[in-house]
Amino acid sequence: MKILELMRRNKLLVFVFVAYAFLFSVMPDKAYMSVNNSMYYVIEMLEIMPVIFVLTAIIETWVPKEVIIKGFGKEAGIKGGILSFILGSISAGPIYAAFPVCKMLLKKGASIGNIVIIMSAWAVIKVPMLANESKFLGMQFMAIRWILTVISIIAMSLIVASIVKEKDIPGSGTVGPEHITGVAVNRSYCLGCGLCANLSPDDFEMAEGKARWINGTLEDDDIFRLRTVMGKCPAKAIDFN
Amino acid sequence: MDIFTLSLWAIATVAFAASLKKNKKKTFESIKMARGLMKGMIGQIIGILFLIGLILTFIPPETIKELLGKSDALVATVAAALAGSVTLIPAFVAFPLVGSFVNVGADIVPAVAFLTTLTMVGIVTFPLEKQEFGLKFTLTRNAVSFIFAVLIAISMGVAL
Repeated sequence: MKILELMRRNKLLVFVFVAYAFLFSVMPDKAYMSVNNSMYYVIEMLEIMPVIFVLTAIIETWVPKEVIIKGFGKEAGIKGGILSFILGSISAGPIYAAFPVCKMLLKKGASIGNIVIIMSAWAVIKVPMLANESKFLGMQFMAIRWILTVISIIAMSLIVASIVKEKDIPGSGTVGPEHITGVAVNRSYCLGCGLCANLSPDDFEMAEGKARWINGTLEDDDIFRLRTVMGKCPAKAIDFN
Repeated sequence: MDIFTLSLWAIATVAFAASLKKNKKKTFESIKMARGLMKGMIGQIIGILFLIGLILTFIPPETIKELLGKSDALVATVAAALAGSVTLIPAFVAFPLVGSFVNVGADIVPAVAFLTTLTMVGIVTFPLEKQEFGLKFTLTRNAVSFIFAVLIAISMGVAL
């Protein structure tokens, strides 16, 4: 069961493994050649992966993301734009991990233009990723692409903001403290990083690569503790319901 | 190891030591989180790296050069941008994959288009985005991102 689950989540790996197994039995010389061709990239990846791993962790620890989010109001103009760039660039995870954060900021009054900046920067500009890009495609390539991307993101935010207005975006109410009945982890957004289960093993567990709330009764001090964990979730995928 | 990677290791080591000194608990917490993120990707990373070997063995460099180098640049670029829009692999593994194509002679213009739409345009995540931000926002943002991905790619071709 567990093996099946692992295979389901690693379809590509299983496919490549089967291809190699087949190749080694039918055309071993081609198989050796493929392994040799891959080795260069495997070694390069091993050289850079620990660095990216450590940088991601350190940025997550020491850049005061919460402060940036808290200070993000209706700030328009250049300051809001720069904050948006910073917020997007320091965050971990793919673009969809930005959706809940952006939704929350919209409710706090952030402009559509700034939301586009956060999402795009979140997708394309990440400090550890820039290191990875330099490694495989060269520093000049990375630098020019970075400059062009920043210019494009500014233009895109202006264009989208002129077409889409606030009334086009569906709102959704926040849950008030008197209506809290439980905790939900949004599985579409959960990155499976396991931070919540590490911080609060009595409340959260990992199942099938995603976090899950361990059902229990909620007292006032539980809610306070859970809020802290929710605030730390890099994808903001945990909420009360 | 080249000088670039070495200096990154130096920076990461110093930053990590400073972080540990400042707050051990917080540092370990975030290391655990980053490890969780990596664990989620490791299957795909290994899969892609060994897939590169298969591609390089069975698709001769001349074919890659022909398809992504000498053929109609605009068609190749738009096709690469479309491929990037529908693919859902982490950018992390896209760099070695694209690097391997460029190394055997693929043109960088389609390569850049693929890299940019891969992360910025999401067909797979479209329903999720629509649910949160509405159809108009999602459609506009993805369409504009696609166009700019092609523009960035063409400008890269001019600049490099």
